[in-house]
Formats: sequence, structure tokens, C-alpha cells
Amino acid sequence: MTDLVVAPLLVALFTAIATLPLRSAQRVQQAVSVFGGVLYLVAVAALVRAVRVDADGYLVYELSNWEAPFGITLVADDLSVLMLGLAAVVSLAALVFSVRGIPEVGQRISYHPLYHLMVVGITGSFLTADVFNLFVWFEVMLMSSYVLVVFYSGPDETRAALHYAFLNLLGSAVMLLAIGGLYATTGTLNMADMAEYLATVPASQTTPVLGLSALLFAVFALKAGIVPFQFWVPDAYRAAPAPVAAMLAGVVKKVGVYAIVRLLFTVFSVAALPPGLFGENATFLAFYGPVLLVMAIGSVVVGGLGAVGREDLDGLLAYSSIGQVGFIVLPLAVAASAVPGAGAEIPREGLVTLGITAALVYSVNHGLAKSLLFFVSGALSRTLGTVRFDALGGVSERNPTLAGSFFVGALALIGIPPLSGFFGKLLVFDVGAQAGSTVVLAVALAGAILTIAYFTLAWSRGFWGPPSDAVAGASVDRSFVLVAAVLAVSIVVLGVGFGPLYDLSYAGAQAATETQGYVDAVLGGSQ
Amino acid sequence: MTPTALSTVFTAIPLQASAQSPNTQFVIAVVLGLLFAIGTFLVLRRDVVRVVWGIAIISQATNMYLVTMGGIAGSVPILAHGATPDPATVSNPLVQALVLTAIVIGFGTTAFALVLTYRVYEEHGTIDLAELGAAPPESGVSAMTDSSIDGPEATGDGEPVTDDDGDTDRHGGPAGSTEVADD
Repeated sequence: MTDLVVAPLLVALFTAIATLPLRSAQRVQQAVSVFGGVLYLVAVAALVRAVRVDADGYLVYELSNWEAPFGITLVADDLSVLMLGLAAVVSLAALVFSVRGIPEVGQRISYHPLYHLMVVGITGSFLTADVFNLFVWFEVMLMSSYVLVVFYSGPDETRAALHYAFLNLLGSAVMLLAIGGLYATTGTLNMADMAEYLATVPASQTTPVLGLSALLFAVFALKAGIVPFQFWVPDAYRAAPAPVAAMLAGVVKKVGVYAIVRLLFTVFSVAALPPGLFGENATFLAFYGPVLLVMAIGSVVVGGLGAVGREDLDGLLAYSSIGQVGFIVLPLAVAASAVPGAGAEIPREGLVTLGITAALVYSVNHGLAKSLLFFVSGALSRTLGTVRFDALGGVSERNPTLAGSFFVGALALIGIPPLSGFFGKLLVFDVGAQAGSTVVLAVALAGAILTIAYFTLAWSRGFWGPPSDAVAGASVDRSFVLVAAVLAVSIVVLGVGFGPLYDLSYAGAQAATETQGYVDAVLGGSQ
Repeated sequence: MTPTALSTVFTAIPLQASAQSPNTQFVIAVVLGLLFAIGTFLVLRRDVVRVVWGIAIISQATNMYLVTMGGIAGSVPILAHGATPDPATVSNPLVQALVLTAIVIGFGTTAFALVLTYRVYEEHGTIDLAELGAAPPESGVSAMTDSSIDGPEATGDGEPVTDDDGDTDRHGGPAGSTEVADD
């Protein structure tokens, strides 16, 4: 049964390879690619079922049977499978969109293999329990995404890709530095082994590890596009083809969020800080709590204000995703500050778990809603040739289904019941209220108002009113409308039947904070 | 060898090795510092090719730093004829495996960065970062269905690339020859 852990990886890898030699048979290539996406969803569903129902929360796979701290270990726990589920749904939707949404020449040459290799990197990042292996999966994901961002290779695209690629190349070098340093100071690369070791180190000797972990954290923040590492986000998202932008905003960003949750809450939460700066008996998270809070506030403000001033739809969506990641980091900051002192177990129920749950629920909601919005933007751009607001207008009259889907996605990000976004927002506010933090509540409120402001602008300028000349003469491809509508329905369904998503996120949050369970599962050897 | 014994070997090495050869350690530390300084200097240049050089130097310096993390003064860790080498005298081989992986990845990314630089030159007619500027509004994403994709044929210096990342469908006339005006 543990073999199931590698199933999604292998499916994505073999699909990438299978689509390579099929250039001359375009229909076959597209069919194989979409079929691979469906198979990936099935593999992830089987893995979710295995982890949630059959195993007691952990499935451990040791590559080549190398024993845990020495070989590379892949671990599927509740946190990993939740993120994998999001990745599977969004990537299948993006694949179906791509069939008509990407110019045929582009699809034939390189699109499908690159796309699936990106999925391979994403999957590996969610599953690995080895810090260096995480670096490798990041590189697999990034290499494909560099090419996908520059896919149209016009002036704007090359410039955006230049910034995106160079920033991330520097980020990779910094990540290697941090990993090398962590190996020299802790003597291991395995996350579970590292956590076990850090729990035993006296507080006076952890300072180097704190600095190295901060380097690692900066790289993850760069991937997640959190202020002050957000510079590449708007250009890259606007340059990328719509389905790729949907993947970048919906899933690749969440890889950064996942890495922050995994490393901070599972590994570094057990390490004690030297007494002094943050009082006696504090853990690393006492340091990261305020840092996360400042970054979250910055993201919400920069993203929100940036989005209000945009003149085009995809620019607005790109800035919006900076602000929305702020909403994901905000409850994480509260959770980090609420972690009890060194040596104490994090309670299974309480503010820490609730904060991470809020972040995970919000991540899933943002992943679905933002990819839906990018699909709508991509459908318009493919049909009209532009998504500037002065050329749009009246889409709701010309194509009510497409406009309605946009409306649902926007409302989900604003947080209107009964959509899934309502519960995301509600949990963020709940976490702020339970922590008694006026700052968190004020920032969340300001962010919510900004979200309402920019989506109102987008709706009234782009979708309402009499159709513009361009819109009146256009007809949107049916597959675009279908993908958008299916995602919109799924957002409604997730909101109405919110229970399972909450249970999954709650279990994911518990898995993230349960360092001992993780250590036992990984180092206890394979079952 | 039991896992615990291996673990002791791995954790003990860096400290032991560093005690053996302070001179080598010092020289390498200085060289690393210089490499990072040169790399940072180059990354801050306006010339895109220099930035690529800078990134290449920084990633090579990172690799070298990684090697030093395993202890550079020890001997080869071979289990010869059943004799276990003294943990205090061998180098940690794991970091060298890591560096090999990092070198391969760095090779790929550097090649991509250079190709990207060439494409930037073709599209913008310059590799000066300050002159890249904003492209004309009608290009970019909107060019996908723009009626002017069969625009003027490429003339002059920018050789049209036909087999590169699926660009041929949308940008029949590469802008490389058109010397994009930056304001």
C-alpha cells in the first residue's frame, strides 16, 4: 500500500514522457495529456483514501529501500494529501482549458511535456521528507515554469521571464546555502531526523540553525510571493498563458505556503530559542510569528492597493493573488505566536491548529477561485485579444455563463456565504478574534474591503453594462465556458457542503503540528 | 554498520575535520567570500549577460561552500577489507553527492538563462536592463489574436528563430530587428 505514495509522481512523469514523441499526432497528444491529468486525479484520490481511511494518517515510502535518515523518504500525511488534492483538481481543469486555450503550434512543440513536468515537481515538493530533495523538486517545478512563463516569448513575456527566472535562480542558490548549513549544524537532511535532533539541542546552541532556517524561509516566501518578495508576481502571471497562470497562482504559490507550514510548524517548532530576545523558553516560532505578521500585513496592503489601480483584468488578478496570500499568512502568524514554549507539546486542539486550518481552507479556496478567474480572463483574452478594461464591458449580457462563473469566483474571494470563501474569511476573522489581536482583525477587515473594491471595479468595468464592440462580435469557445462553470459549481458545492473540506484541513493542521507523530512515522521504518 | 553508528560518523565529521587544517579552511573561506562578492557585483550590473555570469558564479560558490560543509581535510571514506575507517579522519561523502546534483541543475539553469538572454535581445534589440522598458501596449498577451501578427518580415540583425518554444505561431515578425523605442 505504501507504493501508492509514488503513484501520482509516476503518473505525471510518464504522461510527460508519453506526450513527447506524439508531436505529429496532435489529437492523440492532447488526449494522452488530458487522460494523464485524469489518471493523476485518480491516483491522488486513491492516495487520499489510503491515508485518511486505511492508514492511520501516514504513508511512508523509502526510495530504493534506503532506511529513513539516510535515504530519501516520501511521506503522505493529511497535510500533503490536502495540497495534492488541490493540485490535482486545478491541474486537470487547466489541462482541459489548454487544449483550446493554447495555440496549436505551441501545444505541439513543448507545452504538454513541460506542463506535466511542472506537475511532477509540485507533487514531489508536497511529498518529500528530505530538505535537499525538496530543493530538487523545486528546481524541477521551476525549470518547467520558467519556460511556461516565457511561452509566448514576446517582448513582455521575455522581460517578465527574465525577472522571474533570475530571482528564482538566486533563490535556489540561497536555498542551497541554507541546506548546506543545516546539514553541517544538524548532521541530517531528513526533516523528521532534523526535528528529533533539534528537540534535544540546548537553547544556547541553536542560533546558527535559526539564521539558516530564516534563509530557507525567505526562499519559500519568494516562491509564495509574499511581500517583500512579490516583485516577480504581477509580470510573470500576466506573461504566462492563462492555464499556466492559473496553475502558478492556484498551486505553485501553495507549494511555498506548504513548505512554510511544513518546515516551521513540523520541524522548527521544536527548536528552542536562546533566552533573551523573545523571553525565556521560547521556540523558533516566537521569532517567526511577528515576521509572518509583518509580511502578511504588507501583502494584504500591497496586493489590495495594487489591484485597485489596474487597467487590465489579468494584472488585477495577479495583484489580487499577492493580497490573498496575505490572508493565508495572517492566520499562520497568529498560529506561530500561539505555539507554547520549548519542550511543551502543541495541543491538538487550540489556536495553533485553528490558525493553520484557516490558512489551509483559505489556500484551497484561493486555489480554486483564483484559477477560475484566470480561466475567465484567459477565455476573454483568447477570444478578444485583450483583457484591458477599456475594451471589455457587457460580457454578462453576451455570455452569462462565463460572466456568472467570474462572479462566483469573485464572490468566493470576497467571502460571501454560502461559497467556500466565506468559511475561509470567517476562520481568519475567528482566529484573529480568539487571539484577541486588534491588528489582525483590522488588517483582515481592510483587506476584505480592498477585495470588494477591486472586484466591484472589475465587474462593473468589464462585465456589466452594454457590450463593447469587441465583446458584441465575439463568441467564446464552449470548452472555456465549461471549465469555468464546473469550477464555479465546485466552489458552490464546497461551500454548501463545507464539512469534509473543514475536516480535511483540520486533520492537515493537526498533522502539521504533530512533530512526534511525523518523526515516529518516518524514523519508525517502513511498515 | 548500524544506523546510529553511521549517524555519529556523519555528525562528527565537520567539527573534526575543521580542527585538522585551519589554513585550508581559512583560504577557502576567503575565496568563498570573494566569489560571493564578485557574483553579487555582477548581478547588480545592467548588462543581462553579466547578470547571468553573476548568477553562475554565485551558484558555483554555493557548490564550493557545500563541499566545505562535509569537511575537506579528511580521507576517502572507503570500507576496505572490512576495516572501518576512523570517523574522525574521513570526509563526509554525502555533500559531494549533493554538489553533483546541484552542478547538473546549475548547468541546465545557466543554459536556459543564456537562451533567455538571447531571446530578450531578439525581442527588445538590447540587453541593457534599464532599456528593456515597457513594450508597446498592443504586443504581449493581446498579440495572440491581434490581426497584425503577420506584420513586417524580419529584416536586419535578428535572425528569426523558428524552432524555439512555440513562438512561431504568434510572432511571425520578431521584434529583434525593430529596435524597440523605450519611451
